[in-house]
Amino acid sequence: MEKAVNRQRVLLHHLQPSSSSYQIRESATLSPSICAAGDLAAYQRTAAFGDDVVIVAAFRTAICKSKRGGFKDTPADDLLLPVLKAVIDKTNLNPSEVGDIVVGTVLAPGSLRAIECRMAAFYAGFPDTVPLRTVNRQCSSGLQAVADVAAAIKAGFYDIGIGAGLESMSIDSIGAVKSKVNPKVDLFQQARDCQLPMGITSENVAQRYGVTRQEQDHAAVESHRRAAAATASGKFKDEIIPVSTKIVDSKTGEEKPVTISVDDGIRPNANVSDLAKLRPAFKKDGSTTAGNASQVSDGAAAVLLMKRSVAIQKGLPILGVFRSFSAVGVDPAVMGIGPAVAIPAAVKSAGLELDDIDLFEVNEAFASQFVYCRKKLGLDPEKVNVNGGAIALGHPLGATGARCVATLLNEMKRRGKDCRFGVISMCIGSGMGAAAVFERGDLVDELCNAKTAATTKLLSKDSL
Amino acid sequence: MPVFKTPFNGYSVKFSPFYETRIAVATAQNFGILGNGRLHVLDLSPTPNSPPISELAAYDTADGVYDVSWSESHDSLLVAAIADGSVKLYDIALPPSSNPIRSLHEHTREVQSTDYNPVRRDSFITSSWDDTIKLWTLDRPTSVRTFKEHAYCVYSAVWNPRHADVFASASGDCTVRIWDVREPSSTMIIPGHEFEILTCDWNKYDDCIIATASVDKSIKVWDVRNYRVPISVLNGHGYAVRKVKFSPHRRGLLMSCSYDMAVCLWDYMVEDALVGRYDHHTEFAVGVDMSVLVEGLLASTGWDELVYVWQHGTDLAINCFIGMSS
Repeated sequence: MEKAVNRQRVLLHHLQPSSSSYQIRESATLSPSICAAGDLAAYQRTAAFGDDVVIVAAFRTAICKSKRGGFKDTPADDLLLPVLKAVIDKTNLNPSEVGDIVVGTVLAPGSLRAIECRMAAFYAGFPDTVPLRTVNRQCSSGLQAVADVAAAIKAGFYDIGIGAGLESMSIDSIGAVKSKVNPKVDLFQQARDCQLPMGITSENVAQRYGVTRQEQDHAAVESHRRAAAATASGKFKDEIIPVSTKIVDSKTGEEKPVTISVDDGIRPNANVSDLAKLRPAFKKDGSTTAGNASQVSDGAAAVLLMKRSVAIQKGLPILGVFRSFSAVGVDPAVMGIGPAVAIPAAVKSAGLELDDIDLFEVNEAFASQFVYCRKKLGLDPEKVNVNGGAIALGHPLGATGARCVATLLNEMKRRGKDCRFGVISMCIGSGMGAAAVFERGDLVDELCNAKTAATTKLLSKDSL
Repeated sequence: MPVFKTPFNGYSVKFSPFYETRIAVATAQNFGILGNGRLHVLDLSPTPNSPPISELAAYDTADGVYDVSWSESHDSLLVAAIADGSVKLYDIALPPSSNPIRSLHEHTREVQSTDYNPVRRDSFITSSWDDTIKLWTLDRPTSVRTFKEHAYCVYSAVWNPRHADVFASASGDCTVRIWDVREPSSTMIIPGHEFEILTCDWNKYDDCIIATASVDKSIKVWDVRNYRVPISVLNGHGYAVRKVKFSPHRRGLLMSCSYDMAVCLWDYMVEDALVGRYDHHTEFAVGVDMSVLVEGLLASTGWDELVYVWQHGTDLAINCFIGMSS
């Protein structure tokens, strides 16, 4: 033990310079202090553990307006197919190594959709040995799918998994399935509120927390502006997988093959005065309009997660690290406030403060709830939805969470070292919120790690 | 993307002088303070499809391995400096059961460095926290000579690349000493820094140029013929500089690593001396080496248990160059 203390002493003196230090051998006191290099380092360091759950690939389809957009005649499984295929193809992963595929999906009948997704996996080239399941946490299903995979990897059920999301609102619309309601519902106010149309909950948020129509329209315009700018500068090119599909002309019935690679809901010239003319959609004197609510859309996204040790072994780039996830419940009548509760919970469970977060993707289900959450948490608008949100891009319910992972991590990658932590959050129908914290992938991987040298490889000059 | 995770904290990394793809890594458990050690011999894969780094051999030791050096005469022979004061010789051509082929117990405290004579190729020196440097040859079971003048830990001792009998030693007594094994005592004492000197290395192109680095965070380059003022002082590290190494390919280039976790490349002959800075380590960076066989191939290791091998100047490394980002 004395040897260990002596060694510590010698090493500590390397860190605490004091002149003529060679005489210190006799000095008795040993006082380790906090490693001051933390302040000096270009960024705060944390250990990278082999069992961290990391994201090595995240892709999405373009998001298109339902019933009118590019995917109006595309079967749901054909939306999932390209993103599942992309995460495998772009990483050269052997699909049989995937331990599970979890797909978030909302509107379609559960069992039917689960079978469609399983079929999509076969179309994408997965062998029958790779299982698949669906998950439905309404609007955050895609994020829940990613979190479920992360949790299973953490638990040791498997080392590699895919979290995905899928929604075709062209095929399945909100409220299409009517069911008989239990009469008991009259006794429970909050149970009754679960049945409220989402638009009404948005009006409730606006009314209860005083979010004006003007603020909402401003947020909508900003969302379109940012999404248009991001599209114009090609920021989405890294995350969007082009989908080859068909469009049927509704009049002539003529089928036309197309390749969809651009989001089609963005209106670059949206402005406040035009939006102000729109009539409230849900309530006569309300403030929620078609212009300041999320669009009804079709889309899919997939995220490949694995243990860090496996990623390093395979030499795959680490896009991000999955740090924490929280789902919380709120009053169903104002379900939109979910992110205001979920974000602090997830940030806390990651051991961080809100100030540590450099980038947010907060789903814009409605401008009312989005503006409320941003204000409530005091978030800098310059850090939130920097590439636009669901008002401009669209909100294919089950896919949104996974879509946000692709958007957030790609943006964090672009921003580099200054952008270390990112948060994804959304509100959830029937009164919930979910949020997850991601850390930028290892800086180390970006820099160097010596990709094996170019053509001459490792041959010495003499051998040439 | 060659990166290798060692189970213990990295202490030193060395390229083989015989095979461009081979490196040896010295590691120690619990930051070298308490516990075992392990010596790794790694092979880089030249083809992109196989794992980038594979382990050829690993040897466990009862105490931390602080340094390793390859023999200049036998392609499979390694000398390891062990924290328990022993110096062990390994032959990777032999089965693990016959290793180490020799264990030399003479130093009374931790052995921090070992260097194989590159000119005469039959001898090596070790330096230790017992304030001494010892000279060994392969054919003798005991040391040939002990050099005892330093007043505190000798952190490193390195042979001159041209003269078979000359070496330099860096010590915590704030001096660097130049020795000639034919002389009875040191031939030169350079009080190079105000604080402990942790490392030194000879220039490979000019046998009179030596670099030293210290707890005072600076690296100094000296001409031993005129050592009152350094030729150059390289400032930039935020904490003690743990290791400095001259390039075998470019006259002015040197590489350093520090307790500030950075690995830096310098050209002491130009005004903006800092050529590059790598921030990949997340703990103290304590070992660096430059390949003799492949120009620009660099390796580093640190207490974050990672070994990195990379080609300097490939496009991937560009982000980390200070001053080139804007």
